Amino acid sequence: MADYGQGGAPSAMSPEAEAQIKAWTYERSNDPRGYYERLRAKCPVDFETHQSAANGAGGITTAAVLSRADIEEVLRNTDIFSSEMPIMGSQEPVIPLGVDPPLHSMYRRVLDPLFSPKKMAVLQPKVADAVNEMIDSFIENGEVDFSEAIAVPLPCLMFLELLGLPGAELDEMVRWKDIMIRPEIVAGSAEAGMALQAQTAGEIYGRFGAEMEKRRNAPTDDLISYFMSATVEDGRNLTDSEILRILFLLLAAGLDTVTISLQAIFNYLATHPEAQQLIHDDPDQIDNVIEELLRWETPVQTLTRIAKVDTELSGCPIAAGTHMIAALPSGNVNEEYPETLTVDLTRGDKAHLSFGGGNHRCLGSHLARMELRTVLREWHKRIPFYSIKPGTDIEWVASTLRGIDYLPLVWTSEKG
Amino acid sequence: MKVTIDVDRCQGHGRCYEVAPDVFTDDDRGRGEVIKADVPVEFEAQVLLAVSACPEKAITVS
Ligand code: HEM
Ligand code: SF4
Repeated sequence: MADYGQGGAPSAMSPEAEAQIKAWTYERSNDPRGYYERLRAKCPVDFETHQSAANGAGGITTAAVLSRADIEEVLRNTDIFSSEMPIMGSQEPVIPLGVDPPLHSMYRRVLDPLFSPKKMAVLQPKVADAVNEMIDSFIENGEVDFSEAIAVPLPCLMFLELLGLPGAELDEMVRWKDIMIRPEIVAGSAEAGMALQAQTAGEIYGRFGAEMEKRRNAPTDDLISYFMSATVEDGRNLTDSEILRILFLLLAAGLDTVTISLQAIFNYLATHPEAQQLIHDDPDQIDNVIEELLRWETPVQTLTRIAKVDTELSGCPIAAGTHMIAALPSGNVNEEYPETLTVDLTRGDKAHLSFGGGNHRCLGSHLARMELRTVLREWHKRIPFYSIKPGTDIEWVASTLRGIDYLPLVWTSEKG
Repeated sequence: MKVTIDVDRCQGHGRCYEVAPDVFTDDDRGRGEVIKADVPVEFEAQVLLAVSACPEKAITVS
């Protein structure tokens, strides 16, 4: 989800500001736990580091929130901390991410049942089939770029499936989500990225709009048709604009997040043979392994809110209008809670904020968990032991969404 | 042991019914529901896992 981290559009950013942002996001992506530990040692709220990004947007004050209790407060107290801000080249707020209660609750009541664990369980066999087909295509080779072969295409395919769009549109989907999530990297600079993002947002709205037209008289069994027939609180239907803003957000929020989570988890497993052994000996531990690694790696690094009024966190004054950056890695791994400082793969009970918290809790968390679990289960059945291809330098993408674009894995033993 | 979910805090993370399926279940929105408010002794350990796994601190035992 494009810059969860920076709410405003950095319209005229200086090259120095851009270089500064690159430097700190790079440092953070390589070592988020160490990075936030160093910040916490100075102050529970950091007004400096994340500032550079917002400066480009015209002198906005940012406050990165580092203590677990403060992060929870920022995510839960919607009377003080608002989610209403422009993001991702979209003119009106995306739904439900950019909407505050009470409207937010109305949307979630319609959306939650569609992404419930029971609904996701119905989709699970399709995910398993897709993963196995992908594995079929490379298992003989003894090596694969995990990102290209599974982490990127899998969530995109499932997204097309949910929306009732043909699998042939996969490449287009991958291009769109890349531009939405990290326009500056696709386009080469922040400024060009913003322009490309706005243009592509228009394309996406056009494409989804056309799909809605097709269904207007001939509904199909998919999310788009469902949204078109859904009624909200006062008995009215969702408007076309509302539906488009939901679809747009699903594209931006549901693809790269799963991709980067898969990358982080497989990178960890590939470099920890004892973890592979654990899964081999007791596949039922997979759910725990995933929870613990989602916590440890925290794929989505920051969430943004705007302070509506003057307030205070950990004794630090926060002025109205401040962009609050909830630093999720700092909430998930934090010396205030010693048990969070180590990885225990058989424990899935260390509550984490990797899917956010409060009313904006990730709408797709049950879909994401089902996808992650299915990939781990199917992969480990067939390729139980593997490692990073020798000589590879693992490079983390310096972005709010922390992933690994190139993750070559090698294996020798194979089963079935 | 008795267990309750504070419905105002619960946001449907789903950790409770996953780690303690004998005591909690999910409603149609994916939010947690208590099915055994009086927790049988053999499930108490599960419930304590759910308490620590819930990111919203929505589960209370007494
Ligand atoms: C492991 C993968 C994923 C991670 C780590 C993740 C993380 C997050 C986080 C941290 C938030 C909170 C945003 C905020 O409070 O500002 C969020 C919200 C959201 N996510 Fe996910 N997400 C993942 C997968 C998905 C998937 C597969 C979907 C597709 C349905 C999705 C759809 C959404 C939506 C629609 C929201 C906005 C919810 C709201 O504002 O009420 N996410 N996600
Ligand atoms: S784990 Fe907590 S937030 Fe999640 S469903 Fe259960 S009670 Fe609700």
